[in-house]
Amino acid sequence: MGSSSSPGKQRRTTTAGPSTSSTPLPATTVGFTVLPITYSQTATHVLYARSHSAPKHKDSKGKQREELPEGRTLFLVNVPPDATERELTVLFKACGTVERVVFSTGGNGAQAEQEANDGGESEDGSGTDEDQEGGDEEGSGSEEEGENNSRPKKKRKISHLEGPQVVPLPSVPLRTLRRTGHTAYVVFLDASSLARALKPPQKPYVWPVDIETPLGLAHYSALYSSLRPPLDVVRAHADSWMEAFEYEQTKKRQESKYHKGEAIVDEDGFTLVTRGGAYGKTLGGGVGVMSKQFMNEQGESAGTGGGKRHRKKKEKEKQAFYAFQIHEKKRKEIIDLKKKFDEDKAKIEKLKQSRKFKPY
Amino acid sequence: MSSTLKRKRSGSPGSDSGSDSDASGSGSHASRDEWQGLGAPDSQNAPSSSHVVKPPTGQELRNIKEATDLYRSTSFKFQIDALLPNVRPKYQHSQPLDAFLLSLHKLLVNASPISPQHPLQASRSLSKKGIAVPYIRPLPTEDTNWKVAFEPPTEVVLVGSWATKTAVKGKDSLKYQVDVAIAMPPGLFQEKDYLNGRVFQKRAFYLAVVAAALVGPKSTLPCEAFYESTSGDPRCTTLVVEPSGSSKEWSKLNARVRIIPFLPESPIPLQRLSPSRSNLRTHAQDDEAKEEATPIYNSAFMLMNTPKMHLLSVHALAQDIPAFTDALTLLRVWANQRGYGPGTRMCVRGFEGKGMLWASVLELLIHGEEPLRVGLSKTNAKRKPLGKGLSPYQLFKAALDFLARHGFGDEAVFVKAQDGHRFPPGSYSSHEAVFVDSSSSVNLLAGVPLSSLDLLRHDAQATLQALDHSSLSEDPFQTVFLQDHRDIFGRFDVVLRVDVSSAVMRAKSAHLVADYGSVYNALLANLTSVLRRGLGNRAKAIAVLHPSSDVRPLSQALPSSSSVVYLGIILDTEHAFRLVDHGPAAEEQESESARQFREFWGDKAELRRFKDGSITESVVWDVKSADERVHVPALIVKHLLQRHLGIGADAVQTWQNQFDALLKAPESIRSLYQARGASIGFKTALTAFDTLVKQIKALDEELPLAILNVSPVSAGLRYTEAFVPVAIPLASRPGIPSSASYLPAMEVVVEFEKSGRWPDDLRAIQKIKLAFFERLATCLMGAVKGLQANVVLGNGPVRKEIQDEVALDIVTPDGWAFRARIWHDREATLLDRVIDPQPHVPKAVKKPLTPEEARDRQAAIEAKEVYTRRFLHAPRHHRAVAALSHRSAAFAGTIRLVKRWFAAHWLLRSHVREEAVELLCSYVFLRTGARVQTEGAAGFVGAGMPGTKERGFAMVLEFLKDWDWTKGLVVPLEFGDRDASVTPDATKPPPSTRAAWSLATEFDPEGHMWTSHGPDAIVARRVTVLAKAAWDGLCGLESGDGDVKRLFHHPTDDYDFIVEVDPSLSPRYYQNVDADPSVWTVKGKYANASSKDPVSAVMPGFDPLTMFYDDLKRTYEDSALLFYDVLGGTRIGGVWLPNLRAPRPFRVLGGFSSIPVLKDSEKPKEKDRGFVVLNENALLGEIGRIGYGYIVKITQKGV
Repeated sequence: MGSSSSPGKQRRTTTAGPSTSSTPLPATTVGFTVLPITYSQTATHVLYARSHSAPKHKDSKGKQREELPEGRTLFLVNVPPDATERELTVLFKACGTVERVVFSTGGNGAQAEQEANDGGESEDGSGTDEDQEGGDEEGSGSEEEGENNSRPKKKRKISHLEGPQVVPLPSVPLRTLRRTGHTAYVVFLDASSLARALKPPQKPYVWPVDIETPLGLAHYSALYSSLRPPLDVVRAHADSWMEAFEYEQTKKRQESKYHKGEAIVDEDGFTLVTRGGAYGKTLGGGVGVMSKQFMNEQGESAGTGGGKRHRKKKEKEKQAFYAFQIHEKKRKEIIDLKKKFDEDKAKIEKLKQSRKFKPY
Repeated sequence: MSSTLKRKRSGSPGSDSGSDSDASGSGSHASRDEWQGLGAPDSQNAPSSSHVVKPPTGQELRNIKEATDLYRSTSFKFQIDALLPNVRPKYQHSQPLDAFLLSLHKLLVNASPISPQHPLQASRSLSKKGIAVPYIRPLPTEDTNWKVAFEPPTEVVLVGSWATKTAVKGKDSLKYQVDVAIAMPPGLFQEKDYLNGRVFQKRAFYLAVVAAALVGPKSTLPCEAFYESTSGDPRCTTLVVEPSGSSKEWSKLNARVRIIPFLPESPIPLQRLSPSRSNLRTHAQDDEAKEEATPIYNSAFMLMNTPKMHLLSVHALAQDIPAFTDALTLLRVWANQRGYGPGTRMCVRGFEGKGMLWASVLELLIHGEEPLRVGLSKTNAKRKPLGKGLSPYQLFKAALDFLARHGFGDEAVFVKAQDGHRFPPGSYSSHEAVFVDSSSSVNLLAGVPLSSLDLLRHDAQATLQALDHSSLSEDPFQTVFLQDHRDIFGRFDVVLRVDVSSAVMRAKSAHLVADYGSVYNALLANLTSVLRRGLGNRAKAIAVLHPSSDVRPLSQALPSSSSVVYLGIILDTEHAFRLVDHGPAAEEQESESARQFREFWGDKAELRRFKDGSITESVVWDVKSADERVHVPALIVKHLLQRHLGIGADAVQTWQNQFDALLKAPESIRSLYQARGASIGFKTALTAFDTLVKQIKALDEELPLAILNVSPVSAGLRYTEAFVPVAIPLASRPGIPSSASYLPAMEVVVEFEKSGRWPDDLRAIQKIKLAFFERLATCLMGAVKGLQANVVLGNGPVRKEIQDEVALDIVTPDGWAFRARIWHDREATLLDRVIDPQPHVPKAVKKPLTPEEARDRQAAIEAKEVYTRRFLHAPRHHRAVAALSHRSAAFAGTIRLVKRWFAAHWLLRSHVREEAVELLCSYVFLRTGARVQTEGAAGFVGAGMPGTKERGFAMVLEFLKDWDWTKGLVVPLEFGDRDASVTPDATKPPPSTRAAWSLATEFDPEGHMWTSHGPDAIVARRVTVLAKAAWDGLCGLESGDGDVKRLFHHPTDDYDFIVEVDPSLSPRYYQNVDADPSVWTVKGKYANASSKDPVSAVMPGFDPLTMFYDDLKRTYEDSALLFYDVLGGTRIGGVWLPNLRAPRPFRVLGGFSSIPVLKDSEKPKEKDRGFVVLNENALLGEIGRIGYGYIVKITQKGV
């Protein structure tokens, strides 16, 4: 994502850095606390932490605000790709109790943080790019929100309704690998923990590996079998899901003010004109408009059918009526010929330069 | 080209160009003056308005017209024009050479005579000077009763190509030959000298004396001299003179002088030398009655007469026909590139010193054929003279046409001679091939094996095909003239390396040896004729290849020959793999033909009774499997070499087995499979598939919708999977070592009948699919005993809601695994609607998308891509490739080898999709003319189509190494009948860096269907480099050492880090190129100890390395490029993206694991941004953690 830096930035950092292993790490960088995390003797990972501040200038959703309360939410950058909620909880145990962890890889939140961070420095050019990529990632990220609840959001929504319940597919606690360098929010129970977490640590944290969620081959075996649930579960899930879906559909249809075959008339008495829906039935009622494509096709065929002969004649008249026109035309043809000839010649000359014609 | 021709051509009405250009042409003629008139004021104005284009002058127009009419195309003409000066000597610098020749002339004319003396005595006096007399065998003895003498030449003439200015550069930077013919005085010879090589002995002495004069102490010429024997024939020994010491000035010309003694007039009556006469009395006492003709001997004799005559005829041609010199040059460049000429490697036997042949071919075309005397042949002067007005290109093509059509074995050719031919055609019957020159003195093809001429014919056909049918994107000029075609692996289907040093001819014939002049030549002549007979119509051409003869010091009398020769065979795939050769029927047991048959085949010949009741002598080649059928031609060659030449199996090397081994499981695994009753093979897999389809269709009643179609989309079901599919019955599976437990799941696509009851919602469709699969699984398991079926939810832990993910794994009772997917065409429409909900609204007017919509759209685009590839393109691709592999036996094998190669270099699947490899191979097969089959021209069927997978593999490598992938490729998959509809947009660069290759087909004009996810430009460049290295390795195999496997060993020096996993945990490990059997053999004390780790559950398609790799790739996409070998690899290699290794400002969405660096405060303004750099150690630590227990070690470059 962001790694595709604009060339300008690259130019700024032309000199190669010194070897990083020996030099001590700075305590902070651009407003982020640097939290070194030891993987092993040789490998030290770096987390960047800051307190979360909700974006002000954007109409952020209230939902997000209540999910990530300011004051006790830690914003983390460069979370290990295989981190689980539990591992992060354990990591910050020393600072205080963690209420929950929200993984959000990029997305609007992170970008807002970035913007806040840059202090109004406009990020021209790369903005749109990020927008899309961020959006893309959140698409996959949002489903991961609940680690233990593998049911996608949509289903959860449905199950809130009083309709039929969806039988979930069985889920095994498995790690989800996110893209490297992603971000996460850690929500503490109280604000003092946040301050403690933001203080540069005396000695580096040690990354707690959660042994219960499998790694390596065990992970892949578990994943493989979890993707192949027993048939009866599949059946129950599919059936109940469809039931819920039907219920939802029916309900929507009932709620909708549009009914098939009925014209939509607003309070002023105007009939809404709509385009044809599937199978040519207008969703909203009696009056439909011709599709543009259809009109174009009609127009084209009519035009060609009627005006072909006519146009042909015209062209002929134009092109070779006067003697000078004939001459001009021939002259042009021959000049074109010459031009093509010269082009070929130039092409071969160029090849000649590269010594292409020495067969051996 | 002279101007006279130009005038003629432009005036000729019969130009065959289209009517348009014709009209403009005639128009140009009529009004040329007028334009010049117009052009004059134009040119005056030109300085002021430079953009005004002047019309071309008449002269220019003629040039243009000529280029388009007389050549293939304008640019072809330019390319020819550019080529010609590069292959010609620079005659303008020949001043020092001329001076040298003058002094040479003086020296020779003034040489002091030597009075007649006994040959041995004469040689003794010369050997004191360090010069051996190149007497031929049998060497003169003490009781020889003739004498040798020397007198200065009566004539010294410059002959050959240098004199006529038709010299063409040789391959391998050989020097131009400046031929100097010296006439031996007739007084030195007697009438009887034609017998028993006496004339050659005298010639040898003459040559030795000249050599002595040149290098002797009295000589004033600064030069070195060597002997050289054309084609290793001691009778044709010549003296090669090269400048030495101070006279380097003409070495710049890259030329050397060759002194050829000749015999313009002699007391020997020429009729004694008719091709049918016998002039060698080897065993005069033994069989005096039977005089066998000595054609080669006689030709060698006659060659001593010809230098001047040939000079005159070529000179006359060059004077007469303006295009002659250029055409000859083109023809010889063409021939040199294919090894029909001198060179230091892989030259086709028989074409050394045959420069006159090429000129004579052109002469034949121009002057026509000598009308044969009536009654001898039905065809009377078949070839009409072509006339003098052709362009060089037309002449060249006519020559190719002649070479491609003429069967030298069947029909003699006599070039039209001034006053008839000297010897009647019948007298040439002892020659294999006959092509008599216009001076009617020699058969230019004497000593050229027929099999070499077969190859010449084949090459000419291939070239003509390239010129006529190259509607593809490539320019044929490259392959016709510029490319070296001598590489044996890409040229021949079967290649054998034979060490002939131990060879002993079975039917040893002194006569043959004497006729050929040396044992070696006789041996090879015997070899080619035996093989040609033995292989019969299995081979289109058999070539003996070796370096052309080299110079030797004057102290060495006889030529030495290389002991290793290469046999290259081009197969006729229709007949090549036949298992039985029939001989005469049993009734003719005692006949001559039956005896010959038994004599020819030895103990392989046996009487057999066949199904149709006939009993015949026959030869049967037993093979164990279909794969081994391909070895039959090589088996035959080996058998014949053993029988007729005594060359044992250890002296013959082939590479086929080594290639085969790459596509097979190791021996121990194979026997294990065998023991467990495995069914093996593509055919069996297809049968299993058909059975499954029947079983599924039989469930019609129980399913809510009827099944319309089940179509295969897996490489295993189209013969192109690298490893032959294997199925082990479920019951016998436990106990198979885990490193060989991989069970590939072959994908199939299921299509249900259309129904309005499908929900109109993407998410719901996926759920319905789940329901369908569950139903199908339950029913199948109920209907077929022992069948297992499982619904698969997807690939990773994260579900994608609108994308087609769910599948059904089916394992048949026999152990075949299939993965079924459901194709529902409504999905496409629904996805389109999400991607662009308002197609009728112009882009500018559209509302900007909300983030949520953008996300949905992105997901829909991805889902659509998967849908299109999986359900639209994959089945079509499958059908096309399957059809191709039915048409060409070598096609599937080639694909398998190439896939193996890509995999071994850690590219297959990870960067290059299997389908992309298949397309590349199809291109290589199709461009060589498969389409010609549709035309029904029997002789021209796929002249360049490889007949074995080894050759196909070599050709693909050759293609890859030279392929300019920025230009894209059009693969005419549907056999070319619609290729005009797809025109590659060569100028358009690939849309993104993700897709460097563009492989366009009829279905996919964009060409990115199979390449959109790689290779990117970096990897594409790497493919080119790897292909080059592999190609060089392949060429290195020629030298005999080295191993095919070496081409499949991947160099790992370029990787920044390498992750190694435990091979014993890898279910595909047995497919590794260097699989180590100790990994899967039971190590423990007890034989049954392995059962503690049984593969109890059948896991079709379970490949943890691939899953691991995919995870890493997704996670570290923006940090490193990762590579691995999908076929049993145990390592993952990575290269850091280069731009991450320099410090860069910290950003929240950096997208890579970083570590802060302290920057020097040179730029204080920047300092506050905080610079970070890629944290390599941490990243590797994470990888180690993700693969915990699976990874053995991680090595880092330079650490």
